[in-house]
Amino acid sequence: MAGKPAPEKNNLIPPDLNFGLHRNLVEAELVASVGWWIRIRWIAGAGVILAAGIVGIVFPLRVPQPALFTIGVGILAYNLVFYMRERQLKRLEAPAENYMSLAKWQVGMDWLAMTLLIHLSGGIESPVIMFFFLHIIIAAIFFPPRTALAFTLMAIGLVTAIAGLEYASILPHRPIGGLLNAPLYQNGLYVISILFFFGCTALMADYLISSIHERLRQKEEEIVRLTGRLQRATTRLQTLNEGARVVGSTLDLPQVLKRLVKSTAEGMGVHACSIRLLDKSGMYLEPVAMYGLSQTYLNKGPVDVGNNPLAREVLSGKIVNVPDAPNSPMLQYPEEARQEGIRSMLSAPLVGKNEPLGILRAYALEPNRFGPDDEAFLAAIAAQGSIALENALAYQAIEELDAVKSRFIRTVTHELRSPVSVIRSLLGNIVAGYAGDVSDQQRDILDRAVRRIDFLQKLIDDLLDLAAGKAEVTKNEALEPLPLEPAIESVAKRFEVLAGEKELDLVWRDQSLDECTTVMATPEGIDRILNNLVSNAIKYNRPGGSVTITLKRNNGEALIRVEDTGIGIPVEAMDHLFEEFYRAPNAKAIEREGTGLGLTIIKDLVTRFGGRVAVQSASPVGTCFTISLPLEKSETGKTGLSG
Amino acid sequence: MSMKRILLIDDDPDLRLAIRMPLEAAGYAISEADSIPAAKAAIPEVKPDLIVLDVMMETATAGFQLALDVHNSGPQSEFKDFRETPIIMLTAIHTTTPLRFAPDEDYLPVQIFLEKPVDPQVLLAKVRELLGE
Repeated sequence: MAGKPAPEKNNLIPPDLNFGLHRNLVEAELVASVGWWIRIRWIAGAGVILAAGIVGIVFPLRVPQPALFTIGVGILAYNLVFYMRERQLKRLEAPAENYMSLAKWQVGMDWLAMTLLIHLSGGIESPVIMFFFLHIIIAAIFFPPRTALAFTLMAIGLVTAIAGLEYASILPHRPIGGLLNAPLYQNGLYVISILFFFGCTALMADYLISSIHERLRQKEEEIVRLTGRLQRATTRLQTLNEGARVVGSTLDLPQVLKRLVKSTAEGMGVHACSIRLLDKSGMYLEPVAMYGLSQTYLNKGPVDVGNNPLAREVLSGKIVNVPDAPNSPMLQYPEEARQEGIRSMLSAPLVGKNEPLGILRAYALEPNRFGPDDEAFLAAIAAQGSIALENALAYQAIEELDAVKSRFIRTVTHELRSPVSVIRSLLGNIVAGYAGDVSDQQRDILDRAVRRIDFLQKLIDDLLDLAAGKAEVTKNEALEPLPLEPAIESVAKRFEVLAGEKELDLVWRDQSLDECTTVMATPEGIDRILNNLVSNAIKYNRPGGSVTITLKRNNGEALIRVEDTGIGIPVEAMDHLFEEFYRAPNAKAIEREGTGLGLTIIKDLVTRFGGRVAVQSASPVGTCFTISLPLEKSETGKTGLSG
Repeated sequence: MSMKRILLIDDDPDLRLAIRMPLEAAGYAISEADSIPAAKAAIPEVKPDLIVLDVMMETATAGFQLALDVHNSGPQSEFKDFRETPIIMLTAIHTTTPLRFAPDEDYLPVQIFLEKPVDPQVLLAKVRELLGE
């Protein structure tokens, strides 16, 4: 696996585009320039007409006005034709070749107009000759060097021809009257020197412009190429980033794998991607996540590691590039790959801490599609995927263990409950005197035993609740729509007498408006939550205090608040409140026996119902527990009192 | 007035003792059955005025099934005379909601659930209530 850059093999630009990049840029420029050129010519044509009109007035010169005028109109006329043709090409979205021929026609016509203008303004004596440089520069910019050179030579040829023909009096000489005292067109030395310098200047201008332009063009190509490479790199970074996000955001194994194959295929810009994991026997690779592959290919048969040299090599920790998949002896199913259209494959191992887990593979429809960059990229993705996979697998194992543990606790506590309740019943009979008279001392001992048995019974019941709750989480026990008002009502009623005995004011305030506040829960669960909260609020209260239960709605949630004026929770106890068997020191002081499971059970149940528990407490002023539960879906549309 | 007869059906002898003591002390005649078949044989024989039945016997709901059989028996059934006999069901299935196994007035008119461990005072009160005393 090589990490060094390999520009000649990079996949940033497909090979065909790479080859044609230069031409494409020239063409794009040409297409854009044809219109500009036509716009400039409107000015040139108008300029010729204007010059024909005013030169004779402003300067003491005599020009062939009608002829110049005709040429000006002629330029405008053929420019109109070009203009219409250009619009037609645009409308037809014609290929660049059509624009090229239009450009050549333009140069040809311009050359002709220039030649006529030169002839009508004195031939070799004409100052208009200078204008030819302008045209040569434009040609050098827009045409490839060879075409530009041809036009330059043509310009030199045309000027030479006019000079020669006028020199030999084959063409009539038409000087601008009043410009020169003596005619120079038959002065051989003058003619040759003008032609020489004109020719040299024209060729040099063409050469300089062409070569500077060519260099600019190369730079431009480089920029386009680099931009492509950057885009590609960005996509890959995004893919890696997405991968990292997946690793961090979910422990749901199928979800992790699904996202991984999709982002890999997209990030590499390839046809398909798959993840296969070793089964428990370690002999077969099971397809677990696929992107872009047909069902036929997926059903091709079991991937047998013993029979598959490619799989063996990848599982040994190597990145393996198969440039010609259908003809590779490494494949177990080359024919199926051919039918699927797969021409090359790149495979990277997914490795756990101690052992190979499976294979991440990218498939391409082109042969020899993968280079060192791709290898490095796939290796990076596979490394990330391995972490995600390990995390998800570990989480799965923990969940299974937790379920086993919960089942165990449930069974054990169930078995404990039976004898304990019988002992309690038998003791109760003795205390009640059904087994004969009991002395005061015996009664005292029996009372102590009964208290202990009662505590044991409570502990077992709480443990049972806790275990049942945990076991049911994994079973995904069905929740039902449950109106909260009657549930709270019934708990408030249940504790009325007890609150009265402790001289407490038990207040139940329904602030959820008149409608029913319904959440998804189990009736037993809600009752247990309320029961535990209210019984705590009473147990740890002071005589003359109060317990207030409030129901509100806020932002799609039902808020149940149980507020007391009790001993409160010390700051140091806050962090441990929901831990199993934890009891705050001031609570222990008030009531020696308590299982420390009540709040754990509440938290468990509330979490199961998709809600949250919040505690506010000031020791020794009081405590407020707030349970937030999401409203049942049909409920959330209704407006509620906001808290 | 003859003694009211109570049939106590539970597979746990210690629990049977625990239930038996307060009932006997209150002057009831107690018969016992330690299994569902034994109970089925005992009902026509003992002709109980009230049955105390454990929900969980051979299976988790065997007691419940027996109660249904007794209360819904047809005219040919050996239990036909006991359709109105009140039944107290003992449950070991711990539940925090007192309402969950509460009697359904229309379904089983005379049935009451008591959760183990059974408080003798509560048991006696229920028995007296069901026997109309």
